[in-house]
Amino acid sequence: MESALSLGIALLTAPLFPGIILKVKAFFAGKKGPPLLIKYYTLMKLFRKGSVYSTSTSFVFRMGPLVSCAGAIMVLLFFPLGGGAPLVSFHGDAILIFYILAIARFFTIAAALDTASPFQGMGAAREAFFGTLAEVTIFATLILFYRMTGALGFGEYFTGAAPISLFGRDGALLVLVIVAMFMVLLTENSRVPVDDPATHLELTMIHEVMILDHSGPDLGLIELASFYKLFFYAAFVSLIICPLDPARGMGNLPVFYGVIASIYLAVGLVESATARLKMDRVAKFILTSATLVFFAAILTMGFVQ
Amino acid sequence: MNTFQLSLAILVAGGLIPLVTYRHMMLTKWLYLGTTLVGCLIGLFSLFSSIHRLEDLAWSWPWLHVFTLEFSCDSLSVFFLLPIFLICPLACLYSLAYFDKAGHSLRTAVSFCCTNILIAAMALVSVAANILTFALAWEIMSLSSYILVMYEYEKEQTRAAGYLYFLFAQAGALLIFAAFGVGYSYSGGMAFAAFSSIPEQVKFLVFFLAFLGFGSKAGIVPVHIWLPHAHPAAPSHISAIMSGVMIKMGIYGILRMYMALAVTDIAVGQIVLAVGMITGILGILYALGKSHMKGLLAYSSVENVGIMLIGIGLGMMGVAKDNMVMAGFGFGGALLHMLNHSIYKSLLFFGAGAVIKAAGTGNIEELGGLMKRLPVSGRAFLAGSVSISGLPPFNGFVGEFLIYLAAFQCLNVTHHLNLLLAILAIVSLAIIGSLTIFCFTKLVGVVYLGEPRTAAAAKAREGGWAMTLPMVVLAAACLAIGIFPESAMRFAFWGMSGLGDFSRLDPDLPATIGANLALGSRVFILLFFVVFLARKLLYRGKEIAQGPTWGCGFTRPTTRIQYTGSSFSRTMIRFFRPFVLIRETVVQLTQIFPSRTVYDCRTEDVAEIGWHRGVASPLLTVFGKLRWIQHGNVQLYIGYIILTILIVLLSLIV
Repeated sequence: MESALSLGIALLTAPLFPGIILKVKAFFAGKKGPPLLIKYYTLMKLFRKGSVYSTSTSFVFRMGPLVSCAGAIMVLLFFPLGGGAPLVSFHGDAILIFYILAIARFFTIAAALDTASPFQGMGAAREAFFGTLAEVTIFATLILFYRMTGALGFGEYFTGAAPISLFGRDGALLVLVIVAMFMVLLTENSRVPVDDPATHLELTMIHEVMILDHSGPDLGLIELASFYKLFFYAAFVSLIICPLDPARGMGNLPVFYGVIASIYLAVGLVESATARLKMDRVAKFILTSATLVFFAAILTMGFVQ
Repeated sequence: MNTFQLSLAILVAGGLIPLVTYRHMMLTKWLYLGTTLVGCLIGLFSLFSSIHRLEDLAWSWPWLHVFTLEFSCDSLSVFFLLPIFLICPLACLYSLAYFDKAGHSLRTAVSFCCTNILIAAMALVSVAANILTFALAWEIMSLSSYILVMYEYEKEQTRAAGYLYFLFAQAGALLIFAAFGVGYSYSGGMAFAAFSSIPEQVKFLVFFLAFLGFGSKAGIVPVHIWLPHAHPAAPSHISAIMSGVMIKMGIYGILRMYMALAVTDIAVGQIVLAVGMITGILGILYALGKSHMKGLLAYSSVENVGIMLIGIGLGMMGVAKDNMVMAGFGFGGALLHMLNHSIYKSLLFFGAGAVIKAAGTGNIEELGGLMKRLPVSGRAFLAGSVSISGLPPFNGFVGEFLIYLAAFQCLNVTHHLNLLLAILAIVSLAIIGSLTIFCFTKLVGVVYLGEPRTAAAAKAREGGWAMTLPMVVLAAACLAIGIFPESAMRFAFWGMSGLGDFSRLDPDLPATIGANLALGSRVFILLFFVVFLARKLLYRGKEIAQGPTWGCGFTRPTTRIQYTGSSFSRTMIRFFRPFVLIRETVVQLTQIFPSRTVYDCRTEDVAEIGWHRGVASPLLTVFGKLRWIQHGNVQLYIGYIILTILIVLLSLIV
């Protein structure tokens, strides 16, 4: 029951947090910025509209938003939100989850190629490339977590018998993981310095250009999926930073959401302070994160004791 | 005569009928299909009726008075027989529509005949119980498939591809025979069962000779180079049988040798694992660079064989380390992946054949927009692509998941080398997984989505039901195994039960994992339908308009401005230099009066270049220098013979 409740809260509040990023960016630009609830207004606006479909597209184009959204919700279903037990979990669900995110990527890319637009093809190629590299970091992290706890599922990582903790025996290694996963968060959710959600030139876009032809509720579903995905990565990082005791139940939620809000704040700070990288530097950026986790994983092999 | 022999007899008879009746093509086709279907159904029936008493399926024939051909069946054989009897009849049905050229009736009849001989030979390979039987069946299999590849023998490309295949098949067979010979000289017995008695050091030699030989059939890097040539040359359903079923016989051979030799050295597992990782990553990279649909699929088979070898290697390491959970996951995952791969790879080859038939070309840069023109096969192809990318809720994920679990189990070991291999195995599986997504979004996206790039692609239409029905059946099987993985998983664990002592393994393990994966798939499908209904609700009564794609301000778009397959994959391939070489030919505008501009881009297989520069060219040079021996003078030839006999006799005396 509690799991379902915290899932419901997460599903409802996920669109709130990107507003924080916008507020932070506006603050640094010396502007007032849009209201905190801006993403809810956007969603409502999109859901009220009709759609225009390109004559080039087929049913695959319409599958894109559906699979992305279903995948993003599924990910939250398996995640121990607020430190409580997840709604569904089993040994090995971490692999399943990242493969579910991959099927969402498959259909987003296919939908982009379905429009017959050269720009969308370009964006799709970049998304596929960077996604592939980010996968290395993610699976290196799973390896490290398995070495540390013997677990292979989100529920086991954070609510199991030997939960991952920054203050545990191998806690120092987690500092590297936090940095690396934050870099993956920026990559997978198309944030600066990998991609710029606010750019206006199609040639330089990655994720935004792939969804150029979606409109109305379809675009709304894509936006919703991206909020959930960002929320998932933020929650992942936040539970590593601040492990929560499952016994405290719903009492954990304020701390949990507080840490998540600070991660969004950090995303906003990064976006205000840095410019995006040149396209050929992005691969290095992602591989840096992979190197960090590999270094941590090698340390667990016990060469140094 | 048991039912299994009966099924093989019917298959061979069904293959011989077309040779007689080929003048009446319609009659021939239906007779052929009927007998093949009956043969395969009886084969399946004989497997399932004796699944608890497999020893009943053993028999032997005397041969040339001296030898006996022995046959026996165990769970591993049954597991490899299943795809033979399931995929081949679908391929035969498909071939009825695929072979529709008038004037090719004799050639078609020969192809039908060889197809059935190939099916029977593969079945015999799976049940062969001694080395002689195995070698005989193996050769029949290689030769009949060679004839099948040569269907369009009037094309020079086909003849070259066939020659390359013949070369690798026979070189591989030589290595296998060498392994058998060494084994026989130490064990003194023909039966596989006698091989376990040979000394440990010799086992190593025998296993790796056989590994290389079977590897050339399975498509292990660097002996895979015949695959991307032979598959585009062969008719599509033959590619489907060869890639979906026949190359698995290589995997079967490796497992059979492992089982017969009972090697326990962990180095064997480590080497197989390392070869698997290299094969997997390079296979999918070259697939990404290919621009012919069937060439791409052939390289993707190389990649899938790599994944199977990763599983097998982990399984062998598990047995050596006495970690039976890891061994079970490794072998079980490899077998399940083998079964899944036969399903979706045949589906994809059928799809490629449908495209080639409809548009007249398999070059993906000349296709596009086929999803609207080939709606049924397009959807089936999409399902196959999602499956092969290993994505839930389809079947590809199920086998890969088990191999992942095996690799994670391997992380528990203490030895540094094993730990490193486990880490590399997991990372390679992850990289292979995402590169496969890259590769198959490219294939689906460029061939089936967007707008047609040529007039031929725009005019493409769906083939008959005989071509689409097999694809629909296979696509349904992909989804069914994905949603109900329990029984497939239990079957795979049963299949590998002879590869080690699995009595201590929890018998409920496959069912538990199957139930978990089933839960995952079903939750995803449920969520998909919830979102689907929500979308329906959001669109109720809304205005839906059609318009051109947003051209970013460009007012005169053509279909040629679409992203091509090679530009889609270029960044990724360049990232992996120097393992993949890109050769670009660019002729740009240089003068005031522009001449024709050219851009040509192909990726090159490092192994192929290596074979060419390292083996073929030096050999040709040496043989060129020895050409004077062949002078056409009969007397001197007789002189050679006498000289040879003399040398042999002298060496015998000394």
